Amino acid sequence: MSNHDAVLRVEELRKSFGALVATDDATFEVERGTITGLIGPNGAGKSTLFNLISGFYEPDAGTVLVNGTEVTGKEPYEVAEHGLIRTFQTPRKLEGMTVREAMMVGPRKQPGESFVTLFTDPSGVNEAEKQNLAAVDRLLSEFEISELATQPATDISGGQMKLVELARAMLADPEILLLDEPAAGVNPTLRHSLAEQIRRLNDEGMTILLIEHDMEFVMGLADPVIVLDRGSVLMEGPPDAVQTDDRVIEAYLGGGT
Amino acid sequence: MVRDRLTDWLEELKPAERGVTLVLGFVVLGLLIALITGALGASYFLFLFGLAGMYGLLSLGLNSQWGFSGLINFSVAAFFGIGAYGAALMTGGNSPIAGGFNPIFGLLVAIVLAAVVAVAIGIPTLRLRADYLAIATLGLAEVIRLFMRNERQWTNGSAGIRGIPSFFEGWPILGTFPQTMPDVTVTTGISTITLGTSFWRQLLNVSLLLALLGIVFFVLQRAHSSPWGRVLRTIRSDEDLARGLGKNTFSYKMQAFVLGSVIMAVAGVFYAHLNLFVNPGDLDPITTFYVWVAVILGGSGSNRGALLGGFVVVAIREGSRFVNDFAWFPIDAAPLRLLLIGLLIVLVMRFRPQGVLPPQRELIWPRALSESSQEPASAANRGETNE
Repeated sequence: MSNHDAVLRVEELRKSFGALVATDDATFEVERGTITGLIGPNGAGKSTLFNLISGFYEPDAGTVLVNGTEVTGKEPYEVAEHGLIRTFQTPRKLEGMTVREAMMVGPRKQPGESFVTLFTDPSGVNEAEKQNLAAVDRLLSEFEISELATQPATDISGGQMKLVELARAMLADPEILLLDEPAAGVNPTLRHSLAEQIRRLNDEGMTILLIEHDMEFVMGLADPVIVLDRGSVLMEGPPDAVQTDDRVIEAYLGGGT
Repeated sequence: MVRDRLTDWLEELKPAERGVTLVLGFVVLGLLIALITGALGASYFLFLFGLAGMYGLLSLGLNSQWGFSGLINFSVAAFFGIGAYGAALMTGGNSPIAGGFNPIFGLLVAIVLAAVVAVAIGIPTLRLRADYLAIATLGLAEVIRLFMRNERQWTNGSAGIRGIPSFFEGWPILGTFPQTMPDVTVTTGISTITLGTSFWRQLLNVSLLLALLGIVFFVLQRAHSSPWGRVLRTIRSDEDLARGLGKNTFSYKMQAFVLGSVIMAVAGVFYAHLNLFVNPGDLDPITTFYVWVAVILGGSGSNRGALLGGFVVVAIREGSRFVNDFAWFPIDAAPLRLLLIGLLIVLVMRFRPQGVLPPQRELIWPRALSESSQEPASAANRGETNE
């Protein structure tokens, strides 16, 4: 056992769907303050691993610890309470909402999220709404997308949606953020600003674990990088070491047998 | 001055709202003329208005399930029936269980019963995909209907329950209000209208209805533009996204489902005291169908739209009876009612798939929005009030 500060620790996590073992005794840690990349060839089990960690799937065996607390098999909202928030590869756009409204879903434990409080303490709800509205405005300007605030959420581009997703996840005040392919389907310009934003959040102390297919994106951003192959961790190390590792090249090129 | 304010108000409205306001204006005018000329009896009109408002209540209930949160409930008639039977069994003259209680107890029993049934059906289905709730509620509607028809020892079976008092029976003043009010004769030059006991009784019913509608509308309107409603709307679009952000979606869906079901039961209670007789036929699936039409027609997610839809459906249902009064109309319209409603829904879906009056403005807690002065410039002219 290592003695450094791990926000997320995954131990011998296992999940199979019928005969297919999607996650096969995966063990790794995400150290506080890092951007950890999770890569692997198609079908390596990256998304399954994300779903297991965030509570969307229930593992067959193994443990997940967030901030030292075991959250294995808990519901996503319970995992979120320990500070783990995730995004999705292809988020659906929120119909009938403006970007600002869609962002306002982000903050957790809003007093107005309780039906009863709406009627027993409307002024408290009002205060919280004002604060959240201000927080949304602040985040939108930090992400340099203030002009999107009142646009319908269905009218913005896929890349802008990814930025909004990232900003909204920040409103949930996470300690660790799991990003599922944040740059997928995003044009090069926006991809660059996405990378910058992720780096900025990290500089401000956010711990990030991200899945990414774009090697350039992930190698420029993440340290360390974890390589997943057929459900288990193949290797872990700094990007340079990963890129030149024979086993990794084999996994990607050989398709493995 | 008044005129200025009126034009200001008109200018604030979105095109859809202006259109609906205009049409409503004409309808009200037409009804006024019909009432003054005596073509439409005043107490019958109030009865119809009560029926329309009841559909409005049902639509509001379904709107908080389907419109807010995307829950597919095909049990509208069942929850309506639970409300109607709850009230009837507690207060009715030939109730095999209780009978003779103050209608307030009927209301309470109906609400509790509807909430319990909603929770019971919600626990196994709300964790699953949306279609499972649809299937389960389809079954529930039949189970409840057959229960009411066959469990004669508890529900009187197909004979139904008679002798239900009006809602205010036994109350001071209001209880005897229709009898004590004198007959009023209104002479309009064209006709003479006598407003007697039945008019006052219906007036009392309509007042009760307006009070219920007012409360429900206020509650739903506040809920819809709150963070609570926002989570529900997120669930409707993408439940996984809401879960990823740490929302307990099961609990939210359950709350919306129970809330909507209770509102439907309240509509049923009102019906029992309006009609003074309930039988298993009131639980026919057609009610569910009408209410769905009303919500889709009005614009899913919009409380005002749901209300409007409820009134339109009753207008078509009841109005088609009157079409026969016009000698020049070549066909009997009453049996074509369902066809007409079907046609209407096809037309609305074809030309305005979002419904007649979908939510028009940003749904952010209205006061917070108006008090936040540091809005982005582009936001200044948007979203003043809710819906």
